[in-house]
Amino acid sequence: MSDKHPPFFVGYLPVPAGLRGWLLVACALFVAGLAALGMAMGTSQDDPGPGAFRFDYGRQTVTGVIELTPYPLVRVTKGNDRILPGTTLMLSGQGKSNVDARAIPLEGQLAQVSGIVLQRGTLNMLQLRGGRNGISGVEGAAPAQETKALGRWQLAGEICDGKCLAGAMRPGTGIAHKACANLCLIGGVPPVFVSTQPVDGSEFLLVTGPDGEELPKTLYDYVGNFVSIEGEVERRGDLLVFRADPETAGKVE
Amino acid sequence: MSVKYIPVQWNRNKWLYDAVMLAGVALFLYIFLHVTPDVLGHAQPINPQVHNARAFGACAFVMLTVILCIGPLARLDERFLPLLYNRRHFGVMTVFVAITHASYIVDWYFAFSMSNKYEALLFANTSFGQLSGFPFEVFGIFSLVVLIILAATSHDFWMKFLSPPVWKRIHYLIYPAYLSVVAHVSLGILQDQQHSAFTLLFIGGAASVGVLHLLAALKERKREHAVAAVATEGWVDVAERDAFEDGFAKIRLLPNGERVAIYLQDGLFSAISNACAHQNGPLGEGKVIDCLVTCPWHGFQYDVRNGRSPAPFTEMVPTYNLRMAGNMVQVDPVANPPGTPVPPLPATQQEAMT
Repeated sequence: MSDKHPPFFVGYLPVPAGLRGWLLVACALFVAGLAALGMAMGTSQDDPGPGAFRFDYGRQTVTGVIELTPYPLVRVTKGNDRILPGTTLMLSGQGKSNVDARAIPLEGQLAQVSGIVLQRGTLNMLQLRGGRNGISGVEGAAPAQETKALGRWQLAGEICDGKCLAGAMRPGTGIAHKACANLCLIGGVPPVFVSTQPVDGSEFLLVTGPDGEELPKTLYDYVGNFVSIEGEVERRGDLLVFRADPETAGKVE
Repeated sequence: MSVKYIPVQWNRNKWLYDAVMLAGVALFLYIFLHVTPDVLGHAQPINPQVHNARAFGACAFVMLTVILCIGPLARLDERFLPLLYNRRHFGVMTVFVAITHASYIVDWYFAFSMSNKYEALLFANTSFGQLSGFPFEVFGIFSLVVLIILAATSHDFWMKFLSPPVWKRIHYLIYPAYLSVVAHVSLGILQDQQHSAFTLLFIGGAASVGVLHLLAALKERKREHAVAAVATEGWVDVAERDAFEDGFAKIRLLPNGERVAIYLQDGLFSAISNACAHQNGPLGEGKVIDCLVTCPWHGFQYDVRNGRSPAPFTEMVPTYNLRMAGNMVQVDPVANPPGTPVPPLPATQQEAMT
């Protein structure tokens, strides 16, 4: 073998002696490199935030007044240690489904709701149990609930679905989650605007169309993006509702 | 080389190759899946399904990057050629890792709705008119489909069935597939990423593939200039007889774009096509072993005097006629049909007498 020709490898023949050391080093580097990349890539994942299903609370059952924004809410009037009176709960069904069919007939009435809480900071959602076990009207007059107008705001932040954001998925925001969020919104899960600056003490606002209708389809293109939108904000208990005007929506670079 | 088709012609080197490959992949996944959650220490951990999807997705990207780096590395330094030998096994394993990534995504993000999860994958995000928020999933789907096609047709049976040129063209789809993976990651997870380490590793990996291919292309171009031949009365100069080394070849680029490998074997010159019938491997960069030219890529062998693989194998490559003009070895640029015997040209008068 002359010097100008490196050892010649043939797959079905024994590895030439001159290549063994080199291949051993290459194999060791390959395995060690993949291990190092696994560590580096795995540890470079961002914190998904504090949202979670509160299974540790157990099943929660409270009573309150059903409101439609048009997304159904419960303004809690009779709570418990975990869910105090004055709390406003957004409602969802199992998975990416809504509870409109069960909640709309009870609009303005007193009802008992039961399910598992999802919680992220000041944002509360209740995933209802099935059928009448999840929501049912109760006897008694519904006390009047105050809605306080907070004026017109221009907000910067992200539109996402309230359930994934509240902890059904971690992470439950961002571009990589956009299709999932859209699917939730198509299913009628309440959308939430995550504001970069708190509004009246809260960074989370249930977001609807400008006239209190469901989120306009034109805003689906903005889901997961950093956007700026104007609209009226109102307070319902401890939950803010943002009536976003799609005409004013724009991406923030 | 094989005369019948079986799933894998195992040998010791293939076992070792696959074992090393599996060890690397297993270690990557084990560390990503089971070690990093404790290191991250998030108050509320990333969903296991998302964590798993990311682990398999990142692993598939790394594997694909390594696969695409092996080719140019082997062109730049022959010591990397052994890594090329069983690369298709690495490719098939990549497909399984990528399918696992896709399964976790579809079964998590696109499940739990009233719609079919595969249909939801296609209609949930239709913001095709924008870059930020573009349905990056389509790039992943394209790459996955291509990878599955490449894995399914990776066996030599398909190369024979489709013919090497067609098979090769199909397998060049790996490049659009890789670009599509880059777009999938760039318009997806990278848009949300706050931590810079993954971004840097991703860009570094993709850039390595680009830079190595560029360097290999530059070297190839230089080599092309070096082997470009000059035609004299229809015959093409190869080199002076003393420039040859027994058991090795000189390669010349013919005016028609074909490459010819002229071997000196036991004092006799013979010429065959430089392109191996298997995967167009450079036969002229091979070596004579047991009187047979051996391809440096997968070890396919040919009798240099007739371009035929030894019985019972049936592969054949074109042969070329040679002549001496003084001390200059010359080749006729018109190739003989594959497998045509050509009497070897003696290197010296003494050889001619024997």
